[in-house]
Parts: sequence; C-alpha cells; structure tokens
Amino acid sequence: MYTLIYTCGLGLLCLVAEILNLRKLLIPVILAGLAAIFFVNYMDWQMAGPVILGGIDMSHMLQVDHFAVAFNAILIGAAALLFTLSGNFYKDEPQHLSDYLAILIFILCGAMVLTSFTSLVMLFLGIEIVSISLYIMAGSRKFDIRSNEAGFKYFLMGSFASAILLFGIALIYGSAGSFELPKIAAYAAASGMANPMFLVGSLLMVVALLFKVAAVPFHFWSPDVYEGSPSLVTTMMATLVKISFFAAFYKLMSGGLLGIDGYTSDILVLVAAATMIIGNLVALTQDNFKRLLAYSGISHAGYMLLAILSIKTNSSSALFFYGASYMLATIGAFAVAIPVFNATGKETIDAFDGLGRKKPMLAGLLTMSMLSLAGIPPLAGFLGKYYIFSEAIKNGYVVLTVLAVLASIVGVYYYFKVILAMYTKHGDESDVRPTMLYTLVMLICVGLSLLLGVWPGGLMGII
Amino acid sequence: MSQLLFFSLSILTILSALVVVFTRKPMYSVLSLIVCFFTIAGHYILLNAQFLAITHVIVYAGAIMVLFLFTVMLLNLNAESDQPKSGKLRIAAMVAAGMLFVTLVASIKSTTLGEFSLPPASDNGFVQHVGQRLFTDYLLPFEISSILFLSAMIGAVVLSKKEKH
Repeated sequence: MYTLIYTCGLGLLCLVAEILNLRKLLIPVILAGLAAIFFVNYMDWQMAGPVILGGIDMSHMLQVDHFAVAFNAILIGAAALLFTLSGNFYKDEPQHLSDYLAILIFILCGAMVLTSFTSLVMLFLGIEIVSISLYIMAGSRKFDIRSNEAGFKYFLMGSFASAILLFGIALIYGSAGSFELPKIAAYAAASGMANPMFLVGSLLMVVALLFKVAAVPFHFWSPDVYEGSPSLVTTMMATLVKISFFAAFYKLMSGGLLGIDGYTSDILVLVAAATMIIGNLVALTQDNFKRLLAYSGISHAGYMLLAILSIKTNSSSALFFYGASYMLATIGAFAVAIPVFNATGKETIDAFDGLGRKKPMLAGLLTMSMLSLAGIPPLAGFLGKYYIFSEAIKNGYVVLTVLAVLASIVGVYYYFKVILAMYTKHGDESDVRPTMLYTLVMLICVGLSLLLGVWPGGLMGII
Repeated sequence: MSQLLFFSLSILTILSALVVVFTRKPMYSVLSLIVCFFTIAGHYILLNAQFLAITHVIVYAGAIMVLFLFTVMLLNLNAESDQPKSGKLRIAAMVAAGMLFVTLVASIKSTTLGEFSLPPASDNGFVQHVGQRLFTDYLLPFEISSILFLSAMIGAVVLSKKEKH
C-alpha cells in the first residue's frame, strides 16, 4: 500500500523539480527514491496485512500479498534500469525531461495497481493509468511522423479495448452483483457456467486483456506502435507494462474467473497457439529491429499465456520467473540497441552490421540477451521456458507445449539473424559510444540473466 | 406514468443513437448524440440516480459534446468528404459486429438475473449518499483516479505546447 503512495509521491516530486529547476539532480533522486520504494515494498513481504487508508479498511480494493510484492519488486527493478537509461536518452530535450519522467513514474504506479487489485474498479483504473500515459509517451516525439502515428494508432485501438473491457465489467457486475474478485469468484464457481451473460462478460474482459498483452489476433497495433515510439518507451512497453498486464491477467483469471475455467481455457488455448505460431513466423520476415522485438514480444506473450492456462496448479511462480527473465533480456537488448541506433541513424537489423569487430563487448552482451530471449541455456530465458512448459504439461496441455517448443525453435532463427549481422557482415565506420550508465545496465541485465540461469532458486518458488 | 416515461425515453434514446450512426453529416451525428445523452440522463433520474444524471449532463452533454462540435467545425468535417470503404472491409465489419450483436442479445435474453439486494430507493443516488460511499468504501479508487487525471493533464500540456522545431 505504502509502496503505491510513495511511488505517486515520487511522480509528483518530479513535477515539482521542474519548478525548482533541479533537472540535473532529477535522475539520481528518482533512482534513490526507487531504491527506497523497493525497500518499503520488501517490508510488505514480512507483514502482509490488510490495506488501511485513512483508517478505513481497503482490502476490498487492493490486497498486498506475496504475489503483489514479488511482481512489484521486479517492476521497480525494471523501472530503475529504464530510468538509468533515460538520462542520456532525453539529453536533447531537457525542457521536457521532468514531464516525461513523471509520466513514466505514473506508469509504474498504474502497474502496481494492476499487480494488487481485488476489485474490477481498481483493475480498470490501473489499466487506464498505464494506457493513457503510454499513449502520450508513444506520441511524445512531436515532430516525428512515425511517433505521431504510433501514439494515434495506440490511442484509437486502446480506447476501443478499454470500452470492451468496461462492457465486460458491466455485464459481470450485472450478473455477479459485485466488483470484488472474491465475490465474483464465488459466483463463478456456483453458477457462472449457467449464466450466459456472465460468460459473455468474461469473454469481453479476456478479449480486452488479450489486446493489452498483444496476443494474436489482437496484436496488429503492436509492431507499428513499437516501431514508431521512442526506443525507451518501446522498451517500457515491451517489459514493465507487458509484465504488469500479465500479472493483472493472472490475478483476474485465478482470483475471479477460476470457476468458469472450462469456458475460458478453450479460448485461451486457441489464442495461445495462434500467438506462438504467428508471432514467430511473422518475426522471420522482419528487418527492423524494433518490429522484430515486437513480434518476439508477441510470441513471448503466447508462452506466458501457457502460464495463465495452468492456473489450477498455481503457476504464478513460473509466470513470475518468466517475466523477470524476459524483462532482463529485453532491457539488455535495448540498452545495446539504443546507442547503436543513435550512432548509425537507422533502426534496421543492418545497423548492427560489423558490431562484433567494432565493439566486441557490446556485441557479446547483445548476443547474450538474444540467446536468453531465444531460450538457450545457461541463460534465464531457458529456465523460464522450461518452468512454464512443465506447468503446462502438468495441466495436460501436451500438444500445446509441443507446439510451443517447435515455435521457440523457429524463434532461434530470427534471434540469430541479429547475431549473424554483428559477426559476419561488414558495417560502416560509425562509432558506437554507449555511456557508462548504458554499459552498467547492459552488464546488470546480462549478469542477472546468467545468475538466474544457473541459480534459479533466487526467484523461482518464492511466491 | 413512469412506465410511459420509460418507454418514450427508450424510444428516443434508440432513435437518436441510430441517427448518430446512420446520418452522413458529422454535425447531425453530434447533435443527435446530445439528444441521446439527455435521454440517458432521463433514465438515470427514473432510476433515482439524480447525481449521476446531473454529472452525465454536465460532463457528456456539456463538456465533451462542445469539444466534439469544435473539432467538427475546426476541421470542417461537415462536407461529405468520406471516401467509400472497400467492399471487403464493409462485409468483414458487418460480420464481426453482427456476430457480437447476436451473441450479446442471445446471452442477455437467456439470462435469468439472480436476487439483488438493492439499497432502499430513498437512499439512492443523492449527492450525500454518493459522497459518503466515495469517501469510505471507494476512497482508494477516488484517490488513485487523481493520478490518472494528472497524467492525462501533463500529457495534454506536453503534446500541445507550441515550441520550435
């Protein structure tokens, strides 16, 4: 609870810093604040009590349990890595720095609501905070036509998804008589399957959430938006936001709609299969790095849907581990890619040509991130896939798991396209110079990926 | 009496909503949308939700519709300038929307609603009661929504501020 309040406070502090002219100190202050918030969040792990606000018990709105604390922790970690990158990324627009950073912190607030909601009201508010802030950030490069396109496209599509979500919530409220997850769960278990209105309501909610996590066939916005947005915002969308939506999805399915599992799992099986196949196959033909990672994100959403399908055996640990490893690999990849884009002025895969000769260390780190995304041992991505697949098999989705394995073998091909470009091709003589902080972020991401790959006990099984 | 009101309001709502969709001129769409919002506010009053009705009129029929009107006038959309959509797109949209419509109608028709314990009608919907709920049960969402508005406000300023290229 206090985690959320302090994060909001940090966002406000950012805005005040603009008035007080403290721009230079802003990023160190934010990082220190995030460290403090991480600690406050850790305290909640020890004593997870009811949420009290102004003397009133708010447990029917927000519930701080181990699930929420663990997800909050990796979200705060990801935010800290992203803010470390932001100083250099926004160095040309100091007049906007505090506004952008404040909005990015508000996205973190929304993500924290999504990990711990117990009421559909809070779910909607969380989704809207994250989405509206992202529409703004996607279009924040005002004079770049592609950024405008990204912001506008995301805004229009996202508004429709929000409307569908609200319609679903209304139908569920109409049939279950409550916004609160425990009451909805009780209703779903008792008479959910017999009530078509409840089923259609859940269908609409599931569709809206599938849109937000960019699962096929609701993925069409994702490549365009990822490509057009500023790279740092793309990184945030692909990591922090996606994981928080998955946490919300998991919480909704396990805490609210478990009673109609037989109904939702039919839909999710089809969507997961389509997402894995189409995400990986279309990624093969991409030559823009950001689009490639967008399709890679779509296919990863497909794997994570397997964890959502396996809610009966409490797959939250597997989802958590997968989310953490995916986040580390993607942030690591973008931390290398952003300086390369800046140096070469293009965002295609041939921007990486010859990087292995020019900057062996950068190329090596990007290779590690790509291998982790592809799921090659001993990196964390491999174990993440392993845990999720074994959960799926435990729940009897054998065919789907075989499909997932085949799809991830296809995936190895396009991750290697980047690696091959770095080592086998000759590039121009553009000089890639990442700052110290970028190098630090790369090293942290790859180091943690390796650490989790050989010692998964650090994160696996703590929920 | 209230039944008569309900039916006449409903017919007006549906008719004006249809005009919004079917008319070719954006200005007519906007104007009939205003009628639609007012009739929905009438429904809220019938349900004893006076506060909701007033906010609905102020926010939707007032603020948002003025914004729509300005947009339509500023962009000069009143001319019938929309290109006809391609046939394939039309059919796909019709099939998708039709399927959703059939599903929704069928599901709502075959649903028997459970027992609801509504609060007594005299307590409902007045500012006092809405305020009480807002600052007790719904305190947290009320506070959190301020973050949403703040973020949207900063965004509006950032995106619309005039600056040199």
